[in-house]
Amino acid sequence: MCIPDKNIYKPHLATIEQIIDETPDVRTFRLVFEDEAVRDSFSFRSGQFAEYSAFGAGESTFCIASSPTRTGHIECCFRAVGKVTEALRRLEVGDSVGVRGPYGNSFPIEDFYGRNLVFVAGGIALPPLRTLIWNALDQRDRFGDITIVYGARTESDLVYKRELKEWQERSDVRLVKTVDPGGNGPDWDGQVGFVPTILEEAAPSAENTIALVCGPPIMIKFTLPVLEKLGFGDEQIYTTLENRMKCGLGKCGRCNVGNVYVCKDGPVFTAGQVKAMSQEF
Amino acid sequence: MRYMEISKLQRLLDLLRQQGELHSPVLGDDGVTRFELLPPGKLPDLAAIRTQLPPKKYLLHPQETILTYQADAGYRVPLATVPAMILFGLHPCDLAGISYLDRIFLGDEPDQLYLSRRAALTLIGVSCTPDEFCSCRLYPSPLEAWYDLFFQQSVDGIAVSIGSPRGAELMKILDDVMEERELLLPEDTRCFFGRKIPLPPESELDQGLPEWQVLAGHCIGCGACSVCCPTCSCFDVLEFGGLDGSSAERLRRWDNCLFRSHAEVAGGMSFQKDRAQRFRYRYRHKYRGFGQVKGVPGCTGCGRCRAFCPAGLDLRALAGKLEGDAS
Repeated sequence: MCIPDKNIYKPHLATIEQIIDETPDVRTFRLVFEDEAVRDSFSFRSGQFAEYSAFGAGESTFCIASSPTRTGHIECCFRAVGKVTEALRRLEVGDSVGVRGPYGNSFPIEDFYGRNLVFVAGGIALPPLRTLIWNALDQRDRFGDITIVYGARTESDLVYKRELKEWQERSDVRLVKTVDPGGNGPDWDGQVGFVPTILEEAAPSAENTIALVCGPPIMIKFTLPVLEKLGFGDEQIYTTLENRMKCGLGKCGRCNVGNVYVCKDGPVFTAGQVKAMSQEF
Repeated sequence: MRYMEISKLQRLLDLLRQQGELHSPVLGDDGVTRFELLPPGKLPDLAAIRTQLPPKKYLLHPQETILTYQADAGYRVPLATVPAMILFGLHPCDLAGISYLDRIFLGDEPDQLYLSRRAALTLIGVSCTPDEFCSCRLYPSPLEAWYDLFFQQSVDGIAVSIGSPRGAELMKILDDVMEERELLLPEDTRCFFGRKIPLPPESELDQGLPEWQVLAGHCIGCGACSVCCPTCSCFDVLEFGGLDGSSAERLRRWDNCLFRSHAEVAGGMSFQKDRAQRFRYRYRHKYRGFGQVKGVPGCTGCGRCRAFCPAGLDLRALAGKLEGDAS
């Protein structure tokens, strides 16, 4: 047996180049790998995730929220809710974090060429789809209509506000944004209502369309029947899941949903696959 | 067939000792048999059916440092210096346990710490007679029991099978104590391994099954079943920052799926809130497998979980019901 030099748990160091506060407790980091060779060789696909380290606090799992079409950096987006994310939140521009990955499967974007895309996201679940949104927009002519239905509890909970504005202004994207009833301020120019309801009203055509859904389990639970009603088949619908992970490599033994590991078999699944995991979900 | 008279065992052990650290089941003064360094002059406890901890402790330490961090040096991986080590007296179930762990830790993306230790190990199996806790006959593991040498015990000695090139090399060194004999062994206990538990459809693992609640009601959540299991290898990762503020150490340690913390996520949420759910997870992981061992039952029939459970729980009864009793 030969002993590999590569240690699978050793993160690369990355410098925080930019910090954007998305909401009072959600933050985006733009990260640049410190080692030039890593910077040049790191490649990923939309849908893959990474493990991010805060020194002395530990590791946390988030998707890579930037698009692989934007090179030289990666972005992640996290809510400060636990030990690691609180420690990440204390960091400043110029500080280092650890990053290892990319892990997991990805959206089969090549299969989506020539088709319409409908993105449906809730709350902090926009980042896992945002990588694919920009990926598609950066090669816009490969796709048909692009519709984004995005909602959050309140206006302030919407992430990527500057990009929502950009998508709203673009003529080649249809953005439908919404907040839960009571979550709207006096200047709100979007819809009011829960994502599944607003999606049903927006009624995107299922014809030659792929739906990409990410949100809290309750949103997904009510969104899948709406898509079905609109005519989407199980294999036209993709989602991306997350679970507790310690390794991202199928070894630590805790990220199963049903009979699959999110880290190895996912995180991207079709609605058909998710339904097969039924009870867990 | 190569054969060794039992009177030559001490001489054999001395020869093995020249090849590396010799570890085997040793009966302690406290009456507990453990895998540990076999001191010269002492005989291994070959009569013991099972050691308290399985040999996984040699491959995955109960707790170990996987990374250190220094502000001026970045991340460093601890160097694993592993002496050549011979494990003597592994029963087929424990050999199967190691081959199960190999699939997880050596199959795609090898774990460096595991690999460096595994590469230094020579595995010598010894046949045994199952007791009432063993289920190797009832639910034979489909896993290969990988070994370098396997010693089949017979009336007055040991018949040797070679399982690897390393085993063949070792046999040359052991030749002094071996002789050639024509033997008809009564039963080859290695062939406990080979049959597969039939896997019924996923829907039959219904979370509404009353069995989950019954098991959960009796379980005291001590975690013994997982500690003593030769294939349980879930680990937790912990990180400790140094008081100087510029260093950190990352550890991994054995985890247990019946602990509430196993499926807890940030903010105190949990994917497996109650014990019945955790039992279902344990059952699923143990008998169905995920990832690299998907579809491979991870119970090798060693009987430890049943022998050591303070509440007397036995997942195999459920396995019998769900998977179709293989007896």
